[in-house]
Amino acid sequence: MTDGNTTDDLADERASLVEQVPERRRIAIAIVGAVFWTWLLARWAYHNALLDVIATALGFPDLIRSEVPVLVRQGWIPGGPFRAVADAVAGVANALGPADVLLEWLVWLADLAAFAATIAPKLADGAFITVYLTVVSLLLGLVIAVPLAVARVYGGRVLSTLSLGYTELIRGTPLLAQLFFLWYALQLGSVARAIGFTGEPPIPQAAAMVAVVGFTINSAAYQAEYIRSALQSIDAGQLTAARAVGLDMRGTIRHVVLPQGLRLAIPGWTNEFVYLIKYSSLAAFITVPELFRAAEGVGSDTFRYTKVYVIVGLFYLALVLTTALAMGRFEAAVSIPGLDSSGNQE
Amino acid sequence: MTLLELEDIEKAYENEEVLHGVSLGMEQGDVEVLVGPSGAGKSTLLRCVNRLTEIDAGTIRLAGESIHDLDSNDLRQRVGMVFQDFNLFAHRTARGNVTLGLEEVLGMDHDEAVERAEAHLDQVGLAEQADSYPAELSGGQQQRVGIARALAMDPELMLFDEPTSSLDPELIGDVLAVMNDLAAEGMTMLCVTHEMGFARSAADTLTMLDGGRIVERGPPERLFENPQHERTESFLGQFTDFE
Ligand SMILES: Nc1ncnc2c1ncn2[C@@H]1O[C@H](COP(=O)(O)OP(=O)(O)OP(=O)(O)O)[C@@H](O)[C@H]1O
Ligand SMILES: [Mg+2]
Repeated sequence: MTDGNTTDDLADERASLVEQVPERRRIAIAIVGAVFWTWLLARWAYHNALLDVIATALGFPDLIRSEVPVLVRQGWIPGGPFRAVADAVAGVANALGPADVLLEWLVWLADLAAFAATIAPKLADGAFITVYLTVVSLLLGLVIAVPLAVARVYGGRVLSTLSLGYTELIRGTPLLAQLFFLWYALQLGSVARAIGFTGEPPIPQAAAMVAVVGFTINSAAYQAEYIRSALQSIDAGQLTAARAVGLDMRGTIRHVVLPQGLRLAIPGWTNEFVYLIKYSSLAAFITVPELFRAAEGVGSDTFRYTKVYVIVGLFYLALVLTTALAMGRFEAAVSIPGLDSSGNQE
Repeated sequence: MTLLELEDIEKAYENEEVLHGVSLGMEQGDVEVLVGPSGAGKSTLLRCVNRLTEIDAGTIRLAGESIHDLDSNDLRQRVGMVFQDFNLFAHRTARGNVTLGLEEVLGMDHDEAVERAEAHLDQVGLAEQADSYPAELSGGQQQRVGIARALAMDPELMLFDEPTSSLDPELIGDVLAVMNDLAAEGMTMLCVTHEMGFARSAADTLTMLDGGRIVERGPPERLFENPQHERTESFLGQFTDFE
């Protein structure tokens, strides 16, 4: 699919997760993903304060239960049947005498499912913050990344050096160090609280705001790199043609360069999206109760760390795969007729 | 009326001198064909006329006015350009390629721009392809969109830089037909092309450029039948052999 001439190393890395997946598996991911997201959205809605107010006003005070604290939230999928299977299989295994590996695995899996059913509501809450951090930071980052990339490619000496300096500084230092810098060194948390990020719904927690700032700064740098390489792969002849009809540089960038460059950047952008879903777990270190921290909480309450991390891993996997799938769809939907995703003639 | 006047144009890239005192004048309605070996400076000369490249010395006048007294974007509206590699905007339909300049440069409203674009696409025989994207068109069709895009701006002068050199032989005819029509309608055209049939039938003047200097300039028949310079004779000879 890629043609080395129009893409550079960074862009080659784009090779998107989904494109290499065969159609049948893609459908399977879509089905599992739809179930997962339906459940997740329903969970979020079920405990949403705003929806609660609306439902109560409409005369359904018990429809939405935003008052239930996270720690005591009950699942909708009963753990009991899984428990029963686990116990039954365990009984059979004991009767058969010395450990049967296959049966032991079955017991472990049934037990995992039962455990997942009970802890999933708590993880759903963390997943909301993870999705929130990721989407907000990615979009704010994009707003910064576009001018950074344009400055880098068309900005002249000073602007392009500034842009380069920013991206190299950010890409050259660990994300966790950046978060700690904002949180501990700059004490941005107190600033956020002073501005009014109290953590009382629907106002987000101060720590989450600091995480958004950190992830935005960070992902802007990576997105700028993807967009830069996309802009540079646009054939210079089109820029000459735009100038030749009388467009100025601004008009050329806006009407010729960006519409194509942003399309070409989608695969790289998908990568960044997926990375950010995973790296948003670093927000746990500055006390944001996102998915990973929610899992840690469950772990320290139950001491069943192995199963907690397996389950939270599946959550991340579901988020990542559905995102990649959706982005693949988006890429196809906005593709230019007659051209493939790297801008080459089909 | 003298539409275009070049006087002692000098141009160097870094250390390489490309144009050494080129002078020529074109009357309104003139069709001039510029020929010469690779590296002679033909493209450079064209690009100087719409200021895609700035000259180092000399004067270029369009309708009596020095082009350096004009805003370069205003100048470019008055001078259309067609490129060897078409250079169509890949993300826009044929129609969208034409309307971009109309809307964003001339400030035309959308409906008016679409109407004008479709008229010009019709003029180059592409009324049916208005909704096609460049990657869905043949080279010959793309080049005709390129011509429509330039014409729609209602230029006083059209520059053609080897408009048929990237085309398969069987597609060249369609593009030349459009150029012939334009010439017949009285468009002033400065064309770099090695289509000698076009030069013979449509050009008023044939100019031979070599090493950044005009070697010989005159009516095409004279340069073909009775060249004054050995360089012209040998250069044009390679083409006439084929005919
Ligand atoms: N942007 C540039 N920077 C440096 N040198 C250039 C540039 N453009 C052209 N040149 C040089 O100027 C000389 C003339 O180039 P030009 O493109 O005008 O020639 P040409 O007559 O159009 O040739 P061709 O028939 O190959 O298109 C060449 O030696 C070329 O290498
Ligand atoms: Mg040339």
